[in-house]
Amino acid sequence: MSERLKKIFDSSNPKTKLVSYFVGCYPDYKTCLELIKQAIDNGVSIIECGYPTSEASAEGPVIKTAHDKVLENGDTIKDIIKLVREIRDYSNEVGIVMMGYISNLYKYPITEFVKDVDNAGIDACLVVDAPHELKEENILRKELNKKGLSLIKLVAPTTDDNRLQDIIKISSGFLYQVNVAGVTGVKSANETDVESFVKRIQGLTKIPICSGFGIKSPEDALKIAKTGCQGVIVGSAFVKYIQENITDKDLPSNLGKYIKSFTKELN
Amino acid sequence: MTKNSLKTGPDELGYYGEGESAMGGMAVGETLMPALHELNNGFEDAIKDKDFLDEFAYYCKHYIGRPSPLYYAENLTKKLGGAKILFKQEHLNHTGSHKITNSLFQILLAKRMGKSHLICESGAGQHYSATAAVAAKFSMPLIGVMGDIDVARVNQNIIKAKHYGAKLKTVPGTLKEAITDAIKTWTTNPEYAYICGSVVSSSPFPKIVAFAQSIIGREIREQSMSQEGKIPDMIVGCVGGGSNFAGAIYEFLDEPNVKKIGVEAHETAALTNGTPGIMQGMKTYMLQTDDGAKSLGGMSLGAGITYFSVGPLHSYLKDQGAVQYSSATDKEMLEAYKIIAQTEGICSALEPMAAAAEIIFRQAKDKPEDYIICLSLCGRGEKDLDTIQEHIGKDFE
Repeated sequence: MSERLKKIFDSSNPKTKLVSYFVGCYPDYKTCLELIKQAIDNGVSIIECGYPTSEASAEGPVIKTAHDKVLENGDTIKDIIKLVREIRDYSNEVGIVMMGYISNLYKYPITEFVKDVDNAGIDACLVVDAPHELKEENILRKELNKKGLSLIKLVAPTTDDNRLQDIIKISSGFLYQVNVAGVTGVKSANETDVESFVKRIQGLTKIPICSGFGIKSPEDALKIAKTGCQGVIVGSAFVKYIQENITDKDLPSNLGKYIKSFTKELN
Repeated sequence: MTKNSLKTGPDELGYYGEGESAMGGMAVGETLMPALHELNNGFEDAIKDKDFLDEFAYYCKHYIGRPSPLYYAENLTKKLGGAKILFKQEHLNHTGSHKITNSLFQILLAKRMGKSHLICESGAGQHYSATAAVAAKFSMPLIGVMGDIDVARVNQNIIKAKHYGAKLKTVPGTLKEAITDAIKTWTTNPEYAYICGSVVSSSPFPKIVAFAQSIIGREIREQSMSQEGKIPDMIVGCVGGGSNFAGAIYEFLDEPNVKKIGVEAHETAALTNGTPGIMQGMKTYMLQTDDGAKSLGGMSLGAGITYFSVGPLHSYLKDQGAVQYSSATDKEMLEAYKIIAQTEGICSALEPMAAAAEIIFRQAKDKPEDYIICLSLCGRGEKDLDTIQEHIGKDFE
C-alpha cells in the first residue's frame, strides 16, 4: 500500500480529491509535462499517467486519438516513465498512478517495469485489462506490493457483490469505481446509480473510492462528489480540452484554469 | 480425456498449458468479466443438456446441411502425382463457409441463456453473413463490426447480411480493428451476447468456438473411415484466428500419426514470425513492436486470414510441437485458386487457398499414392471474385 496515497486520503483537504488522467507524452513530452504541472498547481490530488497501446479495448474516440498520436510520435513507455520522474521531482505530494494495458508491461517485462516505475517515484499502477484471473496481474500485484506500491483495482456496475468482495480483498490505495458500462468519454454518469453503487461498496469496505467514467463538467464532478465517494476521476474531458486547444500557445495555463473550475467545486 | 491429452485444456481460467508459458487467459476490462464468467457457466451447463445438443445437431443437419462432404479431388491428385487429396467441403455449408456452425451454436447458447441482442465481428464477412442468417432465423437483432478495407473487398457478404436484417458498424482497418471495436461495443452493452467468430479473444471464446467447430474433425474421421478405410495421414487448413483448422484437427490432437499443418498468410504469420504477447483478451503469439505498444502486420488478399495474432490453442500446439505452422504468399494463393478452379471446378475463397498452396507446392508431390491429405476447404469464393479478377484476370492469361 502506497504511503503517499494513504496520506492523500487521510487528509480532509480537499474534501473530494480530483484524480485526473493524462496520456503520457501527449501531445508531446514537453507540453505534457507543462500540462501536468498546471494540473498539480490547480489542485489535482492524483495524476493518472497513461501509456498507449494500439489495441486498447476500453478507450473511447478522444483517448484513442491521443494514444495513436503518442504511438505515431514514437514516444514509448520508457519516455513516459522519464516524464513521471520529472513530475515527481516537481511535486513530492501528488499521487502518481501509471495507467494502461497489460501488453506493454508483459513485454517490458513486469519485474523490470516495477523496478523502473518505483525508481521514478510512482505510487500505484492500474491495468485496465488485467483482472485478477490473469496470471500477469498476480505477478504484477506481488511485485508492486514488495515495493510498497499499490495495484489499483477497478469495479464496474456489472460487478456483483461476491466478485466485489474478491476485488476488495486484493485492493490497496483506492478502488476505481467505473460508473457506466462503456468505453471512456462516451456515456454520462447518472448520480443516482453512482450513489447506490458507492453505498454498495461502502457496505463492504472502508477503502477510499474514486468514481470515474462519464464525468464531463465541474457540475458533474460536484454531483458525483455528493454521492459519498472520496475522489472523482476526470480523463476524457481534459484530454478533449487539450485536443480542442492544441494550437493555443497558452494551453498549459488555460488547461490549469479549466481544471481549477473542477477543483473549486470539490473543496 | 487423460491428463496427457492435448484435449484437456483450457483450465477454468482459460489457459492452455501450465506455468508462465501457458497461452490464453482472460485479459479484458472488469465490465466484461461477469459476462465472461456467465458465458462460461452457460456453456458448461448447455453441453451437458442432451436436448440442447440435439437441437444443435438438428439445425446442423437441416439448416446448415451438415455433414459437409469429404470429396476425393481426383483430378488434382493426378495432376500433382503424389498423395491422395481429399477436400473437406465446408464451403458447401449454408452461407458458404465453416463459420455458420459456430454462429448457430453460439446463438442457440445465447437463446438458452436468455439473451436478446447479438454483436459479432468479421474479417472476410463470412462470419458476419453467417451470424446474420442465424440471427434472422431466431429473430435476434445483430450488430456486426467490420473494418472499412474488408467492407470494400467482400461486398457480397455485406449485402447478404443486410438482407437478413443485420446492422453494420464500420471502423477504419481490417479484422484486427474489428475485434478491438467489437469488445468496445460489448463493453458498452454487456447484456448482449457477443458471438465471437474464431478461436480468439478472452476465455471462454477459444474453448466455445473450438467445441462448435470440432464437428468438422469428427465428420472427417467418420467419412474417411467409411470412404477410405483409414483416417487421413495429414490435415492442412488455413489459419487467421484459426477456427476452421482447430475444428478440423481437434478430433485428432492425440494422434501424432496424423500430421497437422496450419497455414497463415505470409504478411500476418503470427506463429512463424511473432512472439508471445497479450492483446485482445488473450496471451498468444502475435506480430507486435518489441515494447508491446503496437500490433503489426501487413495486408493479405485473404481478408479472413489477415490477422496479426492467432488463437491461443494454436500457440499452445505450436509450443508443444504437436502441430506445424507455415505461411503462404498472395501469389501462391492465387496460383492454387487457379489450379483448383481448373482441375476440380471449384471456386474457392482465397483463405483456404493458403492451405491448398502448402499441399500443392510443398506436401503432395513426394508422398506415396496411399498417403491421404485432407484440405479444409472452408469457404467459397464468390466474395473474392472481384479481387481475383483484378489480380489474375478472368481468362487466367
